[in-house]
Amino acid sequence: MFKLLSLGNIFFWIEKLTKFINSIFFVLLLVALSFALILSPPDYLQGDSVRIMYVHVPSAWIGLASFTSIALLSIANFLFKIKNIKLITKSIAPIGLMFTCLAIVTGSLWGQPTWGTWWAWDARITSMLILALFYIGFIAAHKFISKEERANKISSLVAIIGLINVPIIKYSVEWWNTLHQPASIKLTGSSTIHSSMLMPLMLMFFVLLLYCALIFLMKYKTEIIRIKKKNLKRL
Amino acid sequence: MIQNLLSMNGYGLFVWSSFLITFLACVFIYYKTYKTLRKYEREFAKEINELSVEQKKIVIENSKVASQVLSSYSKTV
Repeated sequence: MFKLLSLGNIFFWIEKLTKFINSIFFVLLLVALSFALILSPPDYLQGDSVRIMYVHVPSAWIGLASFTSIALLSIANFLFKIKNIKLITKSIAPIGLMFTCLAIVTGSLWGQPTWGTWWAWDARITSMLILALFYIGFIAAHKFISKEERANKISSLVAIIGLINVPIIKYSVEWWNTLHQPASIKLTGSSTIHSSMLMPLMLMFFVLLLYCALIFLMKYKTEIIRIKKKNLKRL
Repeated sequence: MIQNLLSMNGYGLFVWSSFLITFLACVFIYYKTYKTLRKYEREFAKEINELSVEQKKIVIENSKVASQVLSSYSKTV
């Protein structure tokens, strides 16, 4: 089991997975974009501006999911001190930050035609902005603290504190009066979104997830090489 | 039809900007990540090649990562 999880084996599987994702990615992207931009119907209230949802919602989901996984892995790292965990969290963070920023920017572009404003200090938007700040804190700890052990401790702490913000983002639309509507897609219970819109949304989400996997694998590979390079210098 | 697709009933600017920004951000991050990976692979392969024959043999025998990086590097060179 431990042999399977060795950096050498992981490196081998990264190569295989990257090739597989590359082979299916562009076809899926084209299909997803066709549905999102052409084939899906306009909304009866928002018209064609609803198409922004197909990049905004998956971006927000990925931003949230990435931070949750970083925080949970950081807790695991504090408890079990597994070397691989810090490589994983370090590789996820830039992807999460990018998608959080994309959710904020595309949300702003959706807000103007829908609410008549680019920005509002609404609970959901503000908590997403705070999430981006936590991401920046996590990445900055790795970038500017030279002692690796200390950088890991501080970044893990930032992630664990930031975890408090995740349920706030999720339930902000229920706890406060916000411009955002309550969630249309529920994991438990029936969703209020029509299947003609749900299908393209899920397709775009899947394509963006594949993209994240691709970036994550490349970043993880870079981190492995960085470690091996350090070890080589000790020879 | 193309004009309808571009204008999106007056929402074209917002919809297309959202997709374009997402696309550009994704391409930028992909390019930056790919370039960094290639740079590290190149440097790592170069450092292995600079080792003595015996040291190089030990590294390749003991590290799967080193042998894989070296083989992919030699393919690209």
